[in-house]
Amino acid sequence: MGGLISNPKILAVAIIGLAALLISLAGGALGSAFGGGFLGGPIPLIQLPAEKVVALGPYDLMNTTVMFWAAGLVLLLIAWRATRRMKEVPSGLQNLVEVIVEFFDTTADNVAGGAKHAGRRFLPLVLIIFLIVLLSNWLGILPGVGTVGRIETVGEWVEHHSHAYEEEIHEQYPDLTDAEVKKKAVKKTVEKYAAQQFVVFTGDRALGIIPLGRGEDAKVQLQDVVDIGAGDEHIKKDLEHSAVKRAPANADDPGKHSGLVGKRAGLLVPFFRGASTDLNTTLAIAIVAMVTVQIWGISALGLGHYSGKFIILNKGPINAFVGFLEAFGEIARTISFTFRLFGNMFAGEILLIVMAFLLPLIGIIPFMGLELFVGLIQAFIFAMLTLVFGVMASVSHGGDEEHAGAH
Amino acid sequence: MEGLTIGDGLKAMAAALSIGIGAAGPGIGIGLLAGRAMEALGRNPEARGPIQQNMILALAFAEAIAIYALVVAVIIVFVA
Repeated sequence: MGGLISNPKILAVAIIGLAALLISLAGGALGSAFGGGFLGGPIPLIQLPAEKVVALGPYDLMNTTVMFWAAGLVLLLIAWRATRRMKEVPSGLQNLVEVIVEFFDTTADNVAGGAKHAGRRFLPLVLIIFLIVLLSNWLGILPGVGTVGRIETVGEWVEHHSHAYEEEIHEQYPDLTDAEVKKKAVKKTVEKYAAQQFVVFTGDRALGIIPLGRGEDAKVQLQDVVDIGAGDEHIKKDLEHSAVKRAPANADDPGKHSGLVGKRAGLLVPFFRGASTDLNTTLAIAIVAMVTVQIWGISALGLGHYSGKFIILNKGPINAFVGFLEAFGEIARTISFTFRLFGNMFAGEILLIVMAFLLPLIGIIPFMGLELFVGLIQAFIFAMLTLVFGVMASVSHGGDEEHAGAH
Repeated sequence: MEGLTIGDGLKAMAAALSIGIGAAGPGIGIGLLAGRAMEALGRNPEARGPIQQNMILALAFAEAIAIYALVVAVIIVFVA
């Protein structure tokens, strides 16, 4: 230990690291309670469904879709680069890819019974699941993902949310015209979400920047942007403007928020968001995996024999129920696949957001390392479980106890 | 923090309880699992590779249950 401290290089790195950590601690949300907080921004709005980036005709392009395509492109690029100039003695990227493929090849053989090439039929799907899940997990924690995007102004937000009320109002007052229904819906939305919080952006109107250094103070409520009780025309004008009308009340320091007046308020809609943080992505991969598992089972055992695992009619009620449980287990596995990956990655995203809020810039680096690890483990688990389920489906009906525990 | 109703408080309580109670069982399970894996490693250090791989797979099953609780908590907070 004494040797470590006396080494000047290690000492310098330790001091710089400690100083950076202290700066990030003082600059974040924790420091703002003690007069610091010069780096802290407002905590972003976390929402479960993916956000729309752009509408392609009737199809809404979501930000998680963009990231999934990006992961696919990166995978294509890696495959092309690795196989462009193949060598007998591999080096560089070719070596890395060969290591991954070989690892899964031997693992698949081992799981499928140990004979050479016994696991070959499972390998393509298992490997592609591992690679695509790994890449989409890792692309999701790149800087700029989830933080660079378009500003949805208060006006657009209200317009977006008012659609939910249009039908209801149309039923209530069937003789109103569409324009009047729209106005009523907007008014109802504004009244309902009066306390909804929006971020006040700095910079000019084209380039909105999340303000640093004001922390949660850089947020206003909808009622600070729009005069709720005013007439329809007045509300419409306020919404078009989407700027802060009056500073939020602050009893301790009345002048504290006066700088916010006139600035644009809205929400950040990121262009990119980690693909696995969308339930649709993970559900899609899980369905592909489990349907393929059924196909493997049918092709290995034949349709009659394979369905005999689920439909057992000639062995009494208990066995019939066991068969029903087996069939239900297949559905439960799909759901389990979906939520395991989604939950891990979404929780990781929230963890990073909260840590960026508490310990900005430097303090979140260890958590990014943790997310790299979680992304790798989850991709490995997804691929391995697909492999194990596939092997279990393609072996003949033996001891029920063996595959009862896997969910 | 004005404008918060009792319903909001109950929602926060529900989310906290769901992940709090839901994480306890998997926590015990993961502890047991890892402990047994360490025991196995101590008895048979050569079997390190398979033990590790099977442990990670089994950990994923135990952890998935905590993740279900987390998803329920997230849904309570952000959706319901």
